[in-house]
Amino acid sequence: MHKKLLAFLAVSILTALVWAQPSGLPVDVPREELFVADQIYRYSNPGDYNLWMGGQTPHRHALMMETLWYRDQETGERLMGAAVSDPEYNDDFTTMTVHLRDNLLWSDGVPFSADDLVYTVQKINDTDGLTGSGGWKAQLNQYMDSVEKIDDTTVVFNLKESNPRFHSLFETRWNGVYMMPKHVIENIDDLATNILENPVVLGAYKPIQFDPTGYWELYERRDDWENTPAGIITGNPGPKYVMTIFYGDSAKKAIAMSRGELDVYFDADYEAFQTTLDTTPTARSWYTEFPWAYPNEVSTRQLVFNQESADGLYANKDVRWALALAINIVELQTDYIGGVAKVTPMPVPPTASLTKLYLDPMEDWLQGLQIDLGNGEMYTPYDPTIPEQIASWAEGQGYTVPGEPRDVFGTGWWKYDPEAAEKLLVNNGFSRGGDGKWLKPDGTAWKIQIISPPDENDAFRMANAAADMWSEFGIDVDLQGPERSVVDQNRWVGQFEVSTPWYSFVQASGDSWPESRGWHPQYYIPNGEDFRSKGGTNEARINDPKIGEFIDAMASVDPSSPENIQITQDFLKYFTEEMYFITTISFKKFVTWDERYWTGFPTSENPDYMPLYWFHGGKFAFQSLKPAQ
Amino acid sequence: MKLLRTFILPRIVQYLIVIFVGITLTFLIPRLSPINPVDNALGRLTAFQTMSPEATVALRESLMDLYGLNGNLLQQYFSFWKRVVAFDLGPSFTVFPTPVTKLIGSSIGWTIGLLSLSIVIAWILGLILGTLAGFFPNSWWARTMENSLIVVYPIPYYIVAFVLLMLLTYYLPIFPLVGGSKGAPGFTWSYLSSLVYYGFLPALSLIIGGVAFRFIISKALTSTERSSDYVRFAEMAALPKHKILFSYLIRNTLLPQVTDLGLSLGLIFEGALITEAVYGYPGIGSLLLSAINSADYNVIMGITLLSIFGIATASLLVDLSYPLIDPRVRYS
Amino acid sequence: MKTVLGLFRYSPSFRLGAIILFLVLVLLILSFFSPYPPDKRRVVPRNEPPSLEYVMGTNSQGQDVFWMLTFAVRNSLLVAGLAVLIGRGIGVFLGLISGYLGGTWDRVLSAIVDSFIVIPRLPLLILIAAMVRGQMTIIGLGILLGLLDWAFPSKRYRSQILSLKERDFTQTAIFSGMRTFKIVSQEHLPFIIPFLLADIVSGFLFAIGMEVTLAIFGLADMNSQTIGTMIYWGNYYQALLTNKVWVLAAPIGASIIVVVGFYLVSVGLTTYLDPRTRLARLQVKG
Repeated sequence: MHKKLLAFLAVSILTALVWAQPSGLPVDVPREELFVADQIYRYSNPGDYNLWMGGQTPHRHALMMETLWYRDQETGERLMGAAVSDPEYNDDFTTMTVHLRDNLLWSDGVPFSADDLVYTVQKINDTDGLTGSGGWKAQLNQYMDSVEKIDDTTVVFNLKESNPRFHSLFETRWNGVYMMPKHVIENIDDLATNILENPVVLGAYKPIQFDPTGYWELYERRDDWENTPAGIITGNPGPKYVMTIFYGDSAKKAIAMSRGELDVYFDADYEAFQTTLDTTPTARSWYTEFPWAYPNEVSTRQLVFNQESADGLYANKDVRWALALAINIVELQTDYIGGVAKVTPMPVPPTASLTKLYLDPMEDWLQGLQIDLGNGEMYTPYDPTIPEQIASWAEGQGYTVPGEPRDVFGTGWWKYDPEAAEKLLVNNGFSRGGDGKWLKPDGTAWKIQIISPPDENDAFRMANAAADMWSEFGIDVDLQGPERSVVDQNRWVGQFEVSTPWYSFVQASGDSWPESRGWHPQYYIPNGEDFRSKGGTNEARINDPKIGEFIDAMASVDPSSPENIQITQDFLKYFTEEMYFITTISFKKFVTWDERYWTGFPTSENPDYMPLYWFHGGKFAFQSLKPAQ
Repeated sequence: MKLLRTFILPRIVQYLIVIFVGITLTFLIPRLSPINPVDNALGRLTAFQTMSPEATVALRESLMDLYGLNGNLLQQYFSFWKRVVAFDLGPSFTVFPTPVTKLIGSSIGWTIGLLSLSIVIAWILGLILGTLAGFFPNSWWARTMENSLIVVYPIPYYIVAFVLLMLLTYYLPIFPLVGGSKGAPGFTWSYLSSLVYYGFLPALSLIIGGVAFRFIISKALTSTERSSDYVRFAEMAALPKHKILFSYLIRNTLLPQVTDLGLSLGLIFEGALITEAVYGYPGIGSLLLSAINSADYNVIMGITLLSIFGIATASLLVDLSYPLIDPRVRYS
Repeated sequence: MKTVLGLFRYSPSFRLGAIILFLVLVLLILSFFSPYPPDKRRVVPRNEPPSLEYVMGTNSQGQDVFWMLTFAVRNSLLVAGLAVLIGRGIGVFLGLISGYLGGTWDRVLSAIVDSFIVIPRLPLLILIAAMVRGQMTIIGLGILLGLLDWAFPSKRYRSQILSLKERDFTQTAIFSGMRTFKIVSQEHLPFIIPFLLADIVSGFLFAIGMEVTLAIFGLADMNSQTIGTMIYWGNYYQALLTNKVWVLAAPIGASIIVVVGFYLVSVGLTTYLDPRTRLARLQVKG
């Protein structure tokens, strides 16, 4: 009896195993024609390609959608999308003229023209409930008076007031206004409820199959790919098929890559990346060797103080400086981050182009910067040798440093100087208790509360480093690592003392105003209310009229003018001197790809495009791929 | 008639009260959450896009309106009941405006399929093995099975699932990492066989624990019955063993087991939350988890509602059948 | 004492279980002698495999896995103990009232109990835990788990008592004029106690399992060492993929050993205390 049962069990298991085809990929497409990209998350509305409506855009917009211009985050250059030349403004920035390419086709063969652009703008402007385009709609309403077609390839925007940055709506950082096929959308009754099955696209790839449960999507290259912006610019066909698939956490992605079922994945954590290197010999990231990761996403990580928490303890500039000097940046960058990100003392990532615009010209100022430790004792906090120190750590680990330390590891940073920090605190009434722990000026124990979401690897590790170093310095630290949505909620209403968000005060182009304007005191909201209530980004609750002056000055000048850069440099100097927040490292991304089936992905050897394939401008990375054989 | 008034009617009234209380609680609890769906949606939209402050404020206003979150708690509560009665669970917030019923509809099949199969398989296997082990308590295989299942039974389910996952997708890369099927749905061999292939590992993890539990219960029941008089008489009468086993023993132990099966099938609607999370299996468990994380009230309430109906109905049916099964307990 | 000795002699599962639980107790006591505070990082070399110096190896943040485990076992048992105390306290109380008093009491209580039973526990737990994230403590978690785990036990006690009341010997006792209290203490308690013991163990299993589950979703008190948080952080730093199996093997092994220990003890106890099998045992010995 039981033997029969066991036999039955064994047979059924075996049968299931026979079914188990060696390829775990869910589509039947020749592997050598298929590029498999990590989908980042599972779609909750599979088959819905109405990107003007939903927010689920990553890589979908890279493959399917076009806008006028792409600002490459790696090179800082502007790539032409549907437009054929730069935007043209009149002298007082009240009109913007756009010239369009004349050789673009929609995927159903209809040519793209000025009518499509005008229709897109008007449709977004007129339609309510397009949640995915809500930001565009609000800004179009705010800035634009009218839009008109001059001829088939020329469109003029008339603006309500002088605005030298109107084009940024159509130029990507993350994305830009997605062009609509007028001949298709005008036949749709209600764009806000239509899911646009089998969409007509302007991009080089169109979706042909999707998983009804949302784990993957399959795209096919258009036969007329040479009539798409990415096709024209790269001149390369790219893979015949692209599949995006969501495997789960970093561990599962690493496993999938080792099984040959994933060609590129988004951001691995350090450990998963090391595992991938061990288990997948053909895998790599931006550099072939240490420090591997892509270091140039235009953003930086910081420890941000809530100035109105803890009875205003962190509104004191000296306290902020003391905490900065109690951080050992070399240890933070090596022990906690693994040596794979660039150091920067300002919210400006040390990418090649931004280093030229800001960090190099400001180096002398940084080296000469002095702060008052109290009693008139002046102190020079900047240490320009940080990159060399990291380089010698790297050599100690047996790594070769691929280039000049300053190019690989970023700029100098603040000295690790607990004694100077001690002086600053003592002069502000802080004291050490009997157990050597710091007491606040009112004599009670000092406890810093940090919140940081664990799913954001580098931020959380940076928070760990700060927690360890500050507690070694004698401050009690309570580090909380709840789920990201909770962290965000606490940040918004100011329930934190120190948080770990990401910012960059400048864009890849070097312009600062769009990124820093949210810190203008006119948007300041007191602690306890959502800091975004007036649309600002000021979670630190800084209410400083001087910042407002800098931002107003930027607003009035041409973003590409040297004047704009000069104002931004002055702004950064002021912000740094105040130590409003502690910027530590730039964004690094372990964008990890496997060269088993495909090569040609952007790398440090051919840095033509950014490797951020999930951005709207990530299309050039897909389009550059070539078969490995 | 008396039965109806004194036994059936009170049960049904109680059933309705239970559902009312349950639904009210599930309306309230997500609303106490510190995470606000509008803020969440806004956070998602502004995470990458650089947006003007004026636009952010305007967007926030329009979202509050769209999500129906204007108005006080009581107003929201009444409109919630109105919708429940009309079987309209409202739109999901994260994939606005997809209706919740559609989201649940597209994921519930996976959960029902996976769970009902695993529960039934585990129930049958555990019952048979346990009864056999109880009937032949001294054989080597009964002891081996008992000793190993006793160790397996108390292990937290997550650990069983996780260990299986690592063993059979990483160390021995046999099973797929994520998903419920391959290719497009249809009555094709490749699709149907892929259902088994993709569902095997999650089902296995559920069956292991289920078999262990059922085995222990059935063995205990069988041992008790085995020492009862009628079995002894049957043995003295030299009836063949399989006859005793199947004609008398199983029949007597089966009744409580069937009620148990009914109750655990009612639990299906709670979803296999951990299973689906560990194996990346589609279904209402993973839907619920992501809804909780993004404060998608309507989805949370929809699934909870469904599971309350499932469990309450199952236990009502079990309750009503109680006097039929065990004549000793009668409602007086 | 005599009972324990008797148990030890006659029940192999109790013997094994008791030895395991004794080891667990030793581990728990050791936590008070740990050379490092539980949450301190960078106190030992990183990523050392198990050796004589580091019995269970060290993890990637420079913590000693063995000493972490002692805290984890202590905290997990604290959570579970608290949950059991609260959950069974409420459950037994309501079950007894419902079962013995009957009538309106029974109907009202049953309605309440049934309402709680149909509310799905795991989603509710995750929801509540998600609401108080950041503020969750070990004690809070224990109380929360306890407050969610009384409805099923109470229903089981009620039906246990109902079925006892219907049994022949109760009827006989009532007809022979025995007082209610005496019936309960002399006739029913011997049946209820083994049931209670087994139930307490299942409460422990539930609480330990839930603690692990919540921690996996990052919803427990993530700053304290528990079996669940050790697994969470082990996974977070990819212990398996980077071949540091020991970091995960320790908490997983510990959780299995603890629950199996409890379970074996309960199996031993129930077999020993169940009057019917005791009779059988006496006959064999007799």
